[in-house]
Amino acid sequence: MAMATDIGEAKTQTAAPPAPKRKPRKAAGRWRITAYQFGVLLALIALWQVGLWTGVLRPYIYGTPLGVLQSFATQIANGTLIWHFWVTAQEVVLGFVIGCSLGSLAGLLLWLSPLWAKILHPYMIALNGVPKIALAPLIIVWFGLGMESKIAIAAIITFIVAFLQAYKGTQEVDQDLIRLMKSLGASQWQTFRKIVMPGSVPWIVSALRLNVGFALIGAVVGEYISAEAGLGYMVYYSGQLYDLNSVWVGIFSLMIMALILEAVVARIEKLLDMEV
Amino acid sequence: MSLTQETVLEADEARVVYNEDSDTPVEAVRSISLDLRRGEVLALVGPSGCGKTTLFNAIAGLIPLQGGRVSVGGIEVEKASGHVGYMLQKDLLLPWRSVIDNVTLGLEVRGKPKGEARKIAQELIERYGLAGFENSKPSGLSGGMRQRVALMRTLAFEPEVILLDEPFSALDFQTRILLQSDVKRIIREEGKSVILITHDIGEAISMANRIVVLTNRPATVKTVHEVPWGDEVTDPVAVRDRPEYQEMFSKIWQELELAPRH
Repeated sequence: MAMATDIGEAKTQTAAPPAPKRKPRKAAGRWRITAYQFGVLLALIALWQVGLWTGVLRPYIYGTPLGVLQSFATQIANGTLIWHFWVTAQEVVLGFVIGCSLGSLAGLLLWLSPLWAKILHPYMIALNGVPKIALAPLIIVWFGLGMESKIAIAAIITFIVAFLQAYKGTQEVDQDLIRLMKSLGASQWQTFRKIVMPGSVPWIVSALRLNVGFALIGAVVGEYISAEAGLGYMVYYSGQLYDLNSVWVGIFSLMIMALILEAVVARIEKLLDMEV
Repeated sequence: MSLTQETVLEADEARVVYNEDSDTPVEAVRSISLDLRRGEVLALVGPSGCGKTTLFNAIAGLIPLQGGRVSVGGIEVEKASGHVGYMLQKDLLLPWRSVIDNVTLGLEVRGKPKGEARKIAQELIERYGLAGFENSKPSGLSGGMRQRVALMRTLAFEPEVILLDEPFSALDFQTRILLQSDVKRIIREEGKSVILITHDIGEAISMANRIVVLTNRPATVKTVHEVPWGDEVTDPVAVRDRPEYQEMFSKIWQELELAPRH
């Protein structure tokens, strides 16, 4: 099963901390943009339908809008879609929370030991460069076919990203601030608590953003490889059966999940921003 | 020099060399001897890159000396221990802390209870015209106000010696003059002993009691000037009207010019 290698994955870039907020747009303008956003969606569906009518697109290769709707209705009615959605959501969220919290903590703590940071440096470069999803088959072997292995894949990938970003954040703290703390007679722990930790928050938050995507990739690819439930499993299984309408239902469901998670992270971002 | 005047800080042939053990050692400070009297402002003027900041770091105990000694209150400086307060060109305020919590930073490090620290900070903030901004974040303040907060932070800590490393050079001209006069007044009122690094000769003459002119790197003391008006005239703008000001200015200017350039 070579699916894993087909999944392209962006290298973990060290995202810059978020730029200062702009003024909120006027309500009227926002509604217009929402209207256009729906317009784009409708246009794409219309284009799809026109393609089918004119024979440019074949229904058994591309699916049909109506068929997608029907498949959606059936799977909602018999509860399978909710079930798959729920399984994947748990994998993604648990993996994300475990990976982000442990990774950020480890990245921060590494600041306390420059020696270990030096020792681990080549490993960090290697981890940063490797397509982390390549670890998935191994993790499946270690953790089995159930949800645990998907949680583990999402957790390990997000751990790496959170770890690298948090460590990078500690390194970006103004050295003059650290000098200032030293001149005040501060201990290393005081400098860590009062300067390095809060100073790294923007980096940790930007890692959360990146990790929404990585957690989804981890869980879904894990399900592709081997699973009994989940949206990834549903997409893969339906693909094998040439049930393209169900594939689309799965993909759209994943998009909705991504949007929800992004919104939650944006909320967290705002909360942290207020506190910081 | 009157004998009654107490020396707070003394540098005795202090020498700093970077990478001493390597093939390319860099001698930053050759030999500096100076003394800072209690309640005085001592300005260090020198060509840029002459090792002033290195000397500062050595006084603060942030880098070791390769020769000579520096002592504060008669005790030799061996490592950073909070004996000096530091104020740089960058205000180094923590953006995530409010004004009052920035002022208490040094006190927290020293382990003062939060309530007590805040009380001290609140008094300073009110006394020096930042009342009403206690809970603002630094990002909402002007450059001059931010530097004032940085000064409050330094004062709250009550160090033996305050080191000012070009604290006004990032400000526009008017703010700079205003802040110079404020800072001068405040450190007089608080009876602080201050070493001021600057390459602005006017700033040195108008703020300091004595001015030490340094040579090019590796730094040594070239000359020491005492301002003739002592503590009589404290307004930096009024000082600039004195006839001695111009005289002193051109003298120091020439001394700096005479230093060989590489």
